[in-house]
Amino acid sequence: MPFSREPHVPGTLDKDGASGPDADQFGGLVHAVAQNRDRTAFAALFRHFAPKILQYCLRLGADRSTAEELVQDVMLTVWLKAGSFDPAQATVGTWVFTIARNRRIDRLRKEMRPAPDPDDPAMIPASLATPEETAQMVQSSRQLQDAIETLAENQSEVLRRSYFLEQTHEEIAEDTEVPLGTVKTRLRLALSHLKRSMRDKP
Amino acid sequence: MTVPFHHPDDQLLIGYASGQERAGKSLLVATHLAYCPDCRQRVASYEALCGDWLEALPCTDHDGLDALLDRMDGLLTTARTSPEPAAIEPSAADRTCGQLVPEPLRSWLTEPIDTPTDDGSWREISKGVWLSAWERTLSGTTTRLLRMASGAPVPAHRHTADELLLVLRGAFRDEYGSYGLGDVAHYVADTDHYARGASEEDCICLFLLDGDLIFLDEDGNPL
Repeated sequence: MPFSREPHVPGTLDKDGASGPDADQFGGLVHAVAQNRDRTAFAALFRHFAPKILQYCLRLGADRSTAEELVQDVMLTVWLKAGSFDPAQATVGTWVFTIARNRRIDRLRKEMRPAPDPDDPAMIPASLATPEETAQMVQSSRQLQDAIETLAENQSEVLRRSYFLEQTHEEIAEDTEVPLGTVKTRLRLALSHLKRSMRDKP
Repeated sequence: MTVPFHHPDDQLLIGYASGQERAGKSLLVATHLAYCPDCRQRVASYEALCGDWLEALPCTDHDGLDALLDRMDGLLTTARTSPEPAAIEPSAADRTCGQLVPEPLRSWLTEPIDTPTDDGSWREISKGVWLSAWERTLSGTTTRLLRMASGAPVPAHRHTADELLLVLRGAFRDEYGSYGLGDVAHYVADTDHYARGASEEDCICLFLLDGDLIFLDEDGNPL
């Protein structure tokens, strides 16, 4: 049965499509796909994430038909790899982002994205760190979370446009109607706000 | 010290997490991640930020995608995961040298990193300092191995853009400190710095250059 005539999973989407991200809800849907090949759950995930993946690809320069192919590719990966989703590692939104990121680098940039292999015997596990190093890592992670949460709105926006949408400084200046120098200053302030302190050279 | 002390800056980490960073520097960042649980955590935090940004994208387009959802129906029935690539068996040469270069770099290399310096895979640029014959240019970044014998100084040079080093074996020293396994040194354009092998065994690094590298003679003139 085609998905579009299947009922929505209750609570997944508002009528106007403005759903609040609900990690547990989406995690449950991914779990249903992994365990039961549940097409209703897949359709609910598709309705929530497909428009976002489409927008992401369009904004990164894909034409409409390429963007749709990417949406299909990403959602097919969600279907096939649902069993590898780990709710302890990431939210569904973050997991979908990483799939979309890898696919569009491959497709739009014709590049392979180098990534570590979690099963690599040469990878150094966190358990090898000394207790002191582990404490530092916990602190570093907490500091970064704090820094991300306390970024000024206009700095976060420049960061988003620069890294997530890959806009040039000039494009950001034009789109947000602020002088180029201000864009550069905000980006520099944002990065210095995030920068790890204490652990490395200034 | 069991985990790296010197890390890529956050500009590189968020660039890697978002996908904005290109393949050359991503290869160095990703290989550092294999050594560094701390930076893996940081990259995960930046990926989560990007996940939030994905969620926040305004969407108005549903109709066109309903048709796509219909078309995917058949695909879901027939699609199969491609078989996972077989785990890479460390080669005998890797095993005897004891320390395996981690992925993703290992797959890019054509042979173990510590081959004899006179076997044709190394070019001596000054006494005790070699560049690998292995060289890749990825998205405008030139990638090689740099090898420094104990105490050997890298000769004076000028670089016109970013220079990055990742320690794969041994240790080296510069005016900022000492760099061991998995550590990253990042020099921006036109900075003068020195480097000198600082371990008993040869120090071998992944060596990235965005621009040109010009070695200088004793008077500071290009060679």
